[in-house]
Formats: sequence, structure tokens, C-alpha cells
Amino acid sequence: MDKEEEVRVNGTLVWYYNVCEREAWLMSHGVTPDQSDANVEMGRFIHEKSYRRETKEVSTSGIKIDILRKEDGQLVIGELKKSSRFKEITKWQLKFYMYELEKQGIKARGELLFPEEKRKEQVFLTQEDRLRLDNQIKEILRLVYQSEPPEPIKIAFCKNCAYAEFCWA
Amino acid sequence: MKRSFYIMSDGEIKRKDNTFVFENDSGKKYIPIEELNDIYVFGELTLNKRFLEYASQKEVPVHFFNHYGYYIGSFYPREHLNSGYMILKQAEHYLDSTKRLFLARQFVAGSAQNILHVLKYYINRDKEMLNDTYYAIEELMGRLEGCTEVSQLMAIEGNIRDLYYKAFDLILENPDFSFEKRTRRPPQNYINTMISFGNSIIYTIVLSEIYKTHLDPRIGYLHSTNFRRFTLNLDVSEIFKPIIVDRMILTLIGKKMITKSDFDKNANGIIMKDKGKQLILQEIDKKMGVTIKHRELGREVSYRTIVRMELYKLEKHLMGEKEFKPFQSKW
Repeated sequence: MDKEEEVRVNGTLVWYYNVCEREAWLMSHGVTPDQSDANVEMGRFIHEKSYRRETKEVSTSGIKIDILRKEDGQLVIGELKKSSRFKEITKWQLKFYMYELEKQGIKARGELLFPEEKRKEQVFLTQEDRLRLDNQIKEILRLVYQSEPPEPIKIAFCKNCAYAEFCWA
Repeated sequence: MKRSFYIMSDGEIKRKDNTFVFENDSGKKYIPIEELNDIYVFGELTLNKRFLEYASQKEVPVHFFNHYGYYIGSFYPREHLNSGYMILKQAEHYLDSTKRLFLARQFVAGSAQNILHVLKYYINRDKEMLNDTYYAIEELMGRLEGCTEVSQLMAIEGNIRDLYYKAFDLILENPDFSFEKRTRRPPQNYINTMISFGNSIIYTIVLSEIYKTHLDPRIGYLHSTNFRRFTLNLDVSEIFKPIIVDRMILTLIGKKMITKSDFDKNANGIIMKDKGKQLILQEIDKKMGVTIKHRELGREVSYRTIVRMELYKLEKHLMGEKEFKPFQSKW
């Protein structure tokens, strides 16, 4: 990674960082996973087929939001995931988005959406969350500016990870 | 598991909604795009830009061969996995002669290792007379360490291959398929024709896998790079030729599945008839689908995946994460 190049921490990176630091490093260096991995395809497919009627994937500085609508004059942002297995991690990604919007003066409500399970969940941002996110953004920057990726460590996520073949080759 | 699609007969290929349809005298064949790894074209094929556009969108490389089975070139769609970081690393290892020499040596050593593995198989099956070849190749392998130029590595590799191909005569004991010497463009006898054809297939298999990584196929280390032609696939193919192509050739001839009646002579030397080409494609395709247990990954992976993982190993070497050690066959 070029030292002069400014890295923007975005929601995706926050998500990966919480799953696996190595994955976050690889992603930030453009070393993207094998696109033919079944789970990668699944994610793309869910994206293409779900919540068609709502606006999706709106981009603003460093943010790509899956679902966006206005409800009683308030903005609602959502994050789409295949299953609730990654609930905690997705929640932090969503909180990151809410925080980023807040910094731009936009108050938003968050919703976690699980199209396969036909459920949704409300997400709120507390003062504690804001502090934690500030720290996390610093840690992520420290990580992506390292010249080498962290060594692979076997964790539960490896089983379905698109990077597995790369990490364990 | 995505599959390769082979077009042997003459016809036309078109995009039809979300599939490709191949049409010839005997009817239409629909190819579901989501299951397609790549397309091999041997027949006289008519195609249009819409087809290429869709192949590109769906990230499907198309490999073309002429009427005699010689490789023409590939439609290599716009790279979809781009990492400036990786390209820089790839170039760095090319421009630094010590780093380049290291990788070039690994490809030759990996090839030699797997050549010895093939010979061992036959030595264990009462072909003790191959021992001389085995030791001679071992001795040549020992000289790789002392090489200071890529050209020296190439020379040793040439010597190893000569010894090894000569040993085919001892393995096959079939006068129809005596090796004599390696001839290319055009190959002058049956076995050379099979080797050339098999090698060109493995080159395209590796190229299709490179397409799924962040590597640039134009930067190779052993085969000299001129930045205009794909070379990295030639490098990586060296490792897999003995275990995929050579073994298959020895088996097909040994079992009399291919005989001299599968060849034609023409002004261009010896060419293979379609039936023989089809058989070789079928055997290689079958082999690419065979799975072996991968210990670190903790599951079964196909030979095609092994090839891709070899490229991942190369990426990790370039990243300075783990030194590249070529794949060694254990079966």
C-alpha cells in the first residue's frame, strides 16, 4: 500500500475487520477472494433478488448502504445478510454507517435484514458505540498500512470463507 | 464445480437470453452460463461480438485451436480481479534478477520432482532399466542450485526433458510410438504430436485459472517475458505437465486406447484425428476433476483447484508471506 495514498475506512472494511484482520488487509490491498466461491455468488444473488422495490446500494463518502427509505420523515438504512450468523458483526457495520451519516448531520435509524429468514431487527447507536467505533477506525488504519498481511489463523469463519484456498495454499 | 465446454464440430455460438446456445447440423445445445468455466474451440466456429461481450461479462475465457489442433490464442476477458499491489509485486520479482532466478528455479525443480515421481511409478512396476535415467535426472537437478542465469536453468530443463522423453521408449516398448527426438512446430512423430497437444491444453487450463487470480499472465519468470504474450501460464504448467499430460499419454498408449490409426500425415507433419484429440481432452478433463485430500485446508480439492492454489502460493510468495514451494505429486 502506497504511503501517500489515503485509505478510507468504509463499512465493508469494518465488517471484515471484525470477522478476520487478515481478510481486511487482503481486501484493502485489492486482493479480492475467488469470485466463483459459492458463498460469494450467493451474496451477489441475494443482492440482486431481494428487496427489489426499495432503493438499494446508495453511495456517499465511504458508505455503501444496502437499503434506504424514508419512514415518518426519518431515514432508514439497512444492511442485508444471508443469515443471522454474522449478526453481531453486521450490527457494527450498520452502526458505523449510522455514525458516518450522523457526522454529516443526518440522523438515521438502522435495520438489520435477513431476507432468507424474513426478519428484521432495529439497531440503535449509543455514546459507548461511538467511542468504540472511533477506536476501531484507528485500529483498521494501523492494520491496512502494514506492509504484510497478518498470518492466517484458523477460526470458525474459515470453513465458509472465500479466502480459505488462498490462506491455506 | 464449473466445467469446461469443448466445441469439436463446426457450427455457430450465440447468446440466447442468459445462456449460450451452440448450433450445428445436429441441432441446438444450450450451455448454462453459471456452470461454465471456459470454452475450448476446435471446430470452425461462427461467433459475434454479442457473444464475446457476454463471455466477458460472465468472466468466461475462450481458447481457440486451429484445424490441426494447434493453439491459436485465447479470448481473455477484461481482468475482473485487479490489484495494483499484486502487479507491482509481480514486476518487482521479475526485475530483481535474484528474485527472478529463485522463481525460475522453483518451476524447473518442481517439474523435475514430478518427472522423477512419474519415473518412480514405472520403476516400481518392473522397469528397473529406468533407474539410470532417474539418477541422471537427479544429478541434473543438483546443478540447478548453482545456476546464475535463467538461460542456464532452461538448458538444464531441456536436458532433463530429453532424458525423460527418451525413457518413454523403455516404458512403452511400442515401436509405433518411439520418441527419437523432441520436435515441435510441426511435431514429426506420433508421440511428439501428443505431447504438443497435451501441453497446449495444460497451458490454457493454467491460463483460465490465472484469470481467477490477481496475477498478470504476461509476467513470467522462467520463460522470457516480452510483455506481449502470456508466459506465466507456461511457467506454472511446467509443474503440472508430468503428472497431468505425460502420465495421460503413457496410459493412453500403454492401454492401446490410442494407436497409430488416430493420426494423419500431412504437409504440416503429423496431426491427430478428432477422435484422438477428443480422447485426450476427455482424459485431461477427468483428471482435473479428480480430488485429493488437502491437509492444511482440511478438505478434498480437485486438481483444477490445486492448480489455482499453486497460483495463490505464488501470490503469497510475491507478497513476502511464504516462500514458494512447487506442488509435489504423492500419488
